Formats: sequence, structure tokens, C-alpha cells
Amino acid sequence: MSERETEEREQEEERGSTEGHEQDSDGDTGEYEHHGETRDHGGDDGDAIEFIDVKKSFGANTILNGLSLGIPENQISMILGPSGTGKSVCINHMVGLLYPDEGDVLVHGESVPQMADDELFAMRKKFGVLFQDGALFGSMNVFDNVAFPLRQHTDKGEDEVGDIVNKRLKEVGLAAAGTRMPNELSGGMRKRAGFARALVLDPDIVLFDEPDSGLDPVRTALLCELIMEIHEENGGAYVVITHDIMSARRVAEYIAILWKGKIVESGPADELFNSANQFVRQFLAGEAQGPLGME
Amino acid sequence: MRNAFQKPKGWVEAAGDIVKFFGRVFGELFSGRVFRFFGEALRQSGVLILGSTLVIWNLAFILGLTCGIEGAYFNRSVGAPAYAGVFSAWCDLREITPYSFGYMLSAKVGTGLVAEIGAMRITDEVDALEVMGISSMTFLCGTRLLAALFVFPFMYVGSVGMAFFASYIAVVQQIGEVSSGGFFLIFWMFQNPTDLIFSLTKAFSMAVVIVLVGLYYGYTAGGGPVGVGTATAKSMVLNLILVHLIGMLGTQIFWGSAPRAPIGG
Repeated sequence: MSERETEEREQEEERGSTEGHEQDSDGDTGEYEHHGETRDHGGDDGDAIEFIDVKKSFGANTILNGLSLGIPENQISMILGPSGTGKSVCINHMVGLLYPDEGDVLVHGESVPQMADDELFAMRKKFGVLFQDGALFGSMNVFDNVAFPLRQHTDKGEDEVGDIVNKRLKEVGLAAAGTRMPNELSGGMRKRAGFARALVLDPDIVLFDEPDSGLDPVRTALLCELIMEIHEENGGAYVVITHDIMSARRVAEYIAILWKGKIVESGPADELFNSANQFVRQFLAGEAQGPLGME
Repeated sequence: MRNAFQKPKGWVEAAGDIVKFFGRVFGELFSGRVFRFFGEALRQSGVLILGSTLVIWNLAFILGLTCGIEGAYFNRSVGAPAYAGVFSAWCDLREITPYSFGYMLSAKVGTGLVAEIGAMRITDEVDALEVMGISSMTFLCGTRLLAALFVFPFMYVGSVGMAFFASYIAVVQQIGEVSSGGFFLIFWMFQNPTDLIFSLTKAFSMAVVIVLVGLYYGYTAGGGPVGVGTATAKSMVLNLILVHLIGMLGTQIFWGSAPRAPIGG
């Protein structure tokens, strides 16, 4: 079994039941149809990442069903949507951990599925990814975790590596935690350490997979502040995957709402929060009444 | 009828996956890509040496004692106590030490690899490596196989030494029905350096297979902690089967037609 097939099988296992319900609900509701309205993001720099009519299925479960989306350069974008609707699958497509069954994914205009392995590994150096639980290496302390990409991809000496790592750890408020092992950290600290590691190579694109999951509201707010501060300092395309509306209100400059594998609506955050679309209004207001039910 | 063929078909598919995976890991080695992470391979060598050597040598020592004691008492019962060295030479070198090496590697190293890499897989650490632009196959699997190639030959020769030493203690010092010189005369008469190479080949084949099986089940683990537990158990079962298969084939190939038994001249 290949690495990617393994990934796909895992994704299928994780999402199978949820997506199965959504499939069932297609025929039941039948009231709401995607119109996929896309508003101009207003930026001058074009798109860092583009999804072009991407379809992806795991067995009988269709996760992405003709997804078309542009992630603007130099903005903080949020992909919002109900649980199990394919948000994490989007991230995996961006970094080439998954490939689309149909359609294309472009990063800075280059097709990810067409890349050879060496090109793919080189392209991934443009990315910093913050995984849900930080994904710190359990065998290394926090300092070594953050230093790892520098040691692997640069010729910097240990002094320089130390300076950069300490700067990043200070930025995320972990200056004193460098010698601690990941299992000695709280969930929020692990996320911040993962954030420091994601930033250490000054990536062009930073992806956050549900950075607010498992955090209390105050720490979520603090993490959002941190994301905004660091984006202001470094620039680049930041993509945050979440279903937390408060985080979206705080952080997002551009929002795309994903449901059943398609974009319901995307555009600048201000416009989305005033959208007339009934699904968007229901989701962003967190209301019980509307096209989105429990199914 | 169709269902009756489903399970064997699944086994054949799984075997194909495993062989393909073995090929990929060896590809990392022979292409030289793994040497980009030579430091990690050395670190893994250190982990193997510090974590597994003592326990493997202890097991070899205990089983060497067993071979010595059984050989001494059997030879006493047939009126030839001076020939206790035959048992020590054959049992230690040809069978017990390779098997003890295989058992302990399966239990300690093989399951350890599944648990470690499987846990990394379910906590997104493998994906984290990939998105940093580092091939997880090279960094996690290639380096561990390279470390095994560095360490296991020396560890195994040490195990053989421990087993020989234990047999000597049991036969000469504990039971004491043969002199030291008499024991070694027979002991060396029934083996030569080629036998040591054969024994090493047998044990080393077991070791490489055990590491590859551990890497496969760890790397492909999924389904959360329960999935990692299941993968660990599966790797242990498969490794024990393969250890015995390699053991049987090794004995047949190396000593089946030329047992090197200078009896009667």
C-alpha cells in the first residue's frame, strides 16, 4: 500500500460516518442548492492557491464535489464550514498529501498533482503548517522541534539556529519552555510551539488546521491575536481552517464557506458577514433555523 | 464459494503490499537518499545499542545455560559425558542463539517500531515531516533500517559469545564432568568459522525482516490508538512466523546436506 493510499484510507475511515449522513441528507432536504457565489477578494497580489473544480472521493463518500476556490496572497483567509465537510481534506490537497480525483490544485500557479516527488518536497518548503494538536515530535524537546526544519533545510550554524528559534519561541510566548518535552506542555502550548515551528523557515503560506480546537475562549482569542500580529509582521498567505465563528470575526480578511464539498460563498469577510445567502447567514449567526440541520 | 476465496485474496494483497513496501525502504538505502539523514541513522543506532543489547545478550546467556545443561545431562545418560560440547556447539550456534535473537528483536525492536511510528502517524507527526519537505519514508524508515544494518551484526556476534560462555559455565563449571580442555576439543571440532557466518546470515536475515515488518505496520497504522495496538499485535504474529520460517530454511540450506558432524573419524 502506498503512502498516499494509506493517507486516503485513513481519511476515509475518519470521515466515513459523517459524510455518509450528508450523502443521505441530499435527497431529504433538497431545499438549498449551492450557487457558489465568489466575490473578488480585493487584493492586488492574485491568488497564492487555487482549487479548480476539484473532486475527491473516498470509496463511496464524495468529500470535495467540484470545489473551486482562490486563496488570496497576503491576506488571512478562513475556510469555514460544518464538521466533516472536507476542510482538512482541502489542506491536504494544498500540500500534496492528497491528490484530487478530478480538477487541479495550483500553488503559485504550479499544478501540485503534476509535480514529481522532488518538486513536491521543494514546493512544500513554501508552507508552514500548524496541525490540530501541534504535531510536535515526541522524541525532541520544544527547542529541537522548532529548530528541526532549520537544521534539515539550511546550512546555518547552531548559533544562528539558536537565535532564530529563540526569537520564534519568544514571539509565541514560549521563551522559557525550550527544554520541555511535548508531553509536558498543555494543549495551547503545544499549538503555540507548532506555530513557532511552522514559521521558522519564513514560509510564504501558512496553514492552520483548526487552531482553536480544544482551547478555551480566552486562549483562542490570544492565539487569534498572535496570528494577526505575526501576519502583520511577516506577510504571506495565511489559511485558517475552522468552524469557530468568533475566530472568523476576529481574524479573517477573506472567508470561504464550504459545505458538502463545494463553496457556498466566498469573499471579503465584511461582505460575507452581511451576506443575503440563507446558509451563510445561518452558519455565521450560529442559528438553529436554516438549511443546515443535524443530519 | 466466492467468500471462501476472499480471505486468501486479502492475504495475497497484503503480502504484495508488504513486499512493495520492503522494496521502497531498500530503495531509500540503495539510492543513497538515506545518507542525507546519516545523523539520524547514528542516533537510531545508539537507541538500538542502548535499548536492546543487554536484554538480547541476557536471553542468549540463559538459553546458552539451558543448552549446556541439557547437553551435559543427556551425554551423561548415554555414557559419553565428554561429548557435551557437541550440544553446545550445535545448539548454541545453529539454533538457539538465532532464535533467541529473532524472538527478542520481534518483541523489543519490531513492536517498538510499530508503536513509535504508528503513534507518529496518528498524531500527524508523519504528515508534519512531509509538509516540511522531508520524505518520511527516508527519514523514518530508511534511517532505521540503516541503523539495524550497522548494529545487528555486532550485537549478534556478541550474543553467540554470551551463549558459548554460558554453555561453558554450565558444562565445565556447574556440572563438571568434563575438563575445560576436553570440552573445547569437542566444542571446536563440531564447528568452524563458516558455521559462524552461516549462523550470522540466518540471524541477520531474521533481523532485517523483523525491522521491515515493524516499519511497515507502523508506517501504515491508522484508526487511532486501537489501530496502532492491532498493528503491533499483527507485526508480532507475522514476525514470529517469519523467524521460524527463516530458521527452518537456514538450517536446511546451510547444514541440511553437510551437517559437519565428524563422528567416527
